[in-house]
Amino acid sequence: MPASIRRIVAIARKEFLHIVRDWRMIVTVLVMPLFQLLLFAYAISFDVRNVPAVVLDQDNTVASRGYVQAMGRSGFFRIVGAVPDLSGVDRAFNRSVARVAVVIAPGYEDAIASGGKGRAAVLVDGSEPNSAQLGQAYAVALNNVWSRQILVSWAEARGTSFSGVGQLEPRVRDWYNPDRRSAEFLIPGLMVVIIMIVTVQQTAVTLVREREFGTLEQMLESPLRHSELILGKVLPWALLGFVDTLGITAVSLLVFQVPLRGDVAVLAVGMFLFILCSLSIGLVISAMAPSIESANLIALLISFLPGFMLSGLAWPLGSIPVWLQVVSCLFPARFMVEIARGVFLRGTSWNVLGIQVVWLVIYAAVGLGLSAILNRRQEQA
Amino acid sequence: MTWRRTKLIMWKEILQLRRDPLLLRLTFVMPILQLLLFGYVVGSDVRNLPTAIVDLDHTELSQQLANSFSASGYFVLAEHPSSESELTPLIDGGRAQVGIVIPAGMSDSIDKGQTVPIGIVVDGADSKTASVASSYAAQIIAEFNRRQLGLAAKEARGPSLDSRVRVMFNPSLKAVNAMIPGLIGAILLISMGAIMSQAVVRERARGTLEQMLVTPITRGEYLVGKVLPYVAVATVQSAFVAVVGRYWFRVPFNGAVITVVVGLGLFMLTSIGIGLLVSLVSKTQQQAQQTIMFIILPTMVLSGFIFPIESMPPAVVPLTYLIPLSYALVVMRGAFLKGASIADLSTPLLAMVAFAIVIFGVAVTRFSKRLSE
Repeated sequence: MPASIRRIVAIARKEFLHIVRDWRMIVTVLVMPLFQLLLFAYAISFDVRNVPAVVLDQDNTVASRGYVQAMGRSGFFRIVGAVPDLSGVDRAFNRSVARVAVVIAPGYEDAIASGGKGRAAVLVDGSEPNSAQLGQAYAVALNNVWSRQILVSWAEARGTSFSGVGQLEPRVRDWYNPDRRSAEFLIPGLMVVIIMIVTVQQTAVTLVREREFGTLEQMLESPLRHSELILGKVLPWALLGFVDTLGITAVSLLVFQVPLRGDVAVLAVGMFLFILCSLSIGLVISAMAPSIESANLIALLISFLPGFMLSGLAWPLGSIPVWLQVVSCLFPARFMVEIARGVFLRGTSWNVLGIQVVWLVIYAAVGLGLSAILNRRQEQA
Repeated sequence: MTWRRTKLIMWKEILQLRRDPLLLRLTFVMPILQLLLFGYVVGSDVRNLPTAIVDLDHTELSQQLANSFSASGYFVLAEHPSSESELTPLIDGGRAQVGIVIPAGMSDSIDKGQTVPIGIVVDGADSKTASVASSYAAQIIAEFNRRQLGLAAKEARGPSLDSRVRVMFNPSLKAVNAMIPGLIGAILLISMGAIMSQAVVRERARGTLEQMLVTPITRGEYLVGKVLPYVAVATVQSAFVAVVGRYWFRVPFNGAVITVVVGLGLFMLTSIGIGLLVSLVSKTQQQAQQTIMFIILPTMVLSGFIFPIESMPPAVVPLTYLIPLSYALVVMRGAFLKGASIADLSTPLLAMVAFAIVIFGVAVTRFSKRLSE
């Protein structure tokens, strides 16, 4: 057994030297993850604000301007200009200078003064559905508030107080992330996806490269076994993955002030297993791909598309078709995202997250075994 | 520059592509995988959220409110816990994603003209569900208020606002309608960046580039012959996405084909330029891969392709102007959904012309210089 360990250490040392001698590799492995963290943490959000809006005020009175101002004050719409007619609205939409148009019909002020209905419309550009969805909801809510205000001031002008009707007010309570800070709920999941992208990409080529350069054959001439080769290849990357995790955690806690409410041990164990899982994905790709190009392309496709999108990081897994939910179990990220969120945000521990950890153990064992088998088969073929 | 020699280079490139059966298959799998994930995951709409409703009022009015939540189609009233404290385990265990709390005495307070808070509990750890659920809840409550107010105004013969909120171009607000036109453009960049740049670097890494250059082939012939097969591959992928998007996902097409062709043509030039630049700065395929990652990641995140630019902090927004894909997106979505013409889209198209001239121009001149060294 000690001989076996010595061989594993030798392979690990060799792999480590490959990494250390390439400064671009060091940058990619240690700096890129932090760059990605900053990029994603600032840019990923569905919390829309400041949607550009144009105004078509066909009434142009004190009352209509009051309505427009109320829209602008909401902070959701940003009034970028006025247009003279409806074709101006079309132009603004077609040129994408505005996503919302507030249109007020002529006679608005007169209608309200005489106790009638002031007519207005809010048009929302649906070509960016995320903004449009929220824009629609905000517009309905703002109109409701304004309508009430009209009625109240009309009653007050008549010296009667208007108290005939009460109203409901939505009070959104955000659990686990009360200030709705995007960075806060994203970072625990981001950490997982970033580690996956880095490790899968880097390990996907390790075996192919050895094969293309013929060094794999040389190594297998020695008493080295396939399982030892795989373990030796995995060790340095597992170490680097862990260094990345520590770096990202430090930045999250110190710069983004993400709370760490739960049991750190769960996080550490989960992360260790998850790194093994990602490495095994990389090694499976590496064992199957006939060339560096195809290994690179598969790694890019897997780590980005199913890896990132089926992780539950930005898109809730509950709202995708069931068959895709099943497919998502083939990628370890969804389990780890659950663990990371649980530990950071909800303060949960083993009792809730144990099942996810078990999944990761199974995944890592199957993945590493599979890559050793596939590599042997590729070699014999 | 003779067409015969160029064709030979192209033929060599195609043979090489065929020698790697996995790579060839991947070029077909790539658009399918992207369509599936962008169409069904990113394009998924948040609907039918399992909801727990705590009705502490038990009146006709509170029942009406509960019904308007379930009638909206966004909330499914899955659980009816009898107190607020029972909400926590339901949401923690994932059996409900949203909680609605109607306080006791709501109906009475409304009659007295008071404002009653309705609790909407969302799991803030899930960004998209949280923001969508709270905005729908606000919308439903606003509609509810408006009905109440409308009745009151009629009774008091007072004025009110007759307002309509209409969504144009994509009235069903299907996310996939915006996703597919973007993907038709984005796939060009991914293909040229991830496949072509690898092929160019490979030639250099293996030393076959020098062999090539001792033959009578000119630099121009080599460049054209090397790039064209990948342009063809990317065009086929892009067309495939367009056809599947149009006929399977039923994305409306309201614009002119010429607008799309002009926009994609300009973006193709930029993508070729980016692919060549990546291969210029990389010595090995591994480095090319790392470089392209460094470009594709910010492009995907900051272009507005996946996350709306309106949701980014103001300090980040200027960065989006530096990303060619963000202009291609405006053009593609404009042409597909809004039926915008070339004149309407002149600003983004001009920006794309500028990118094409600068990136493609610099790449081609640097590349031929490198070849002659």
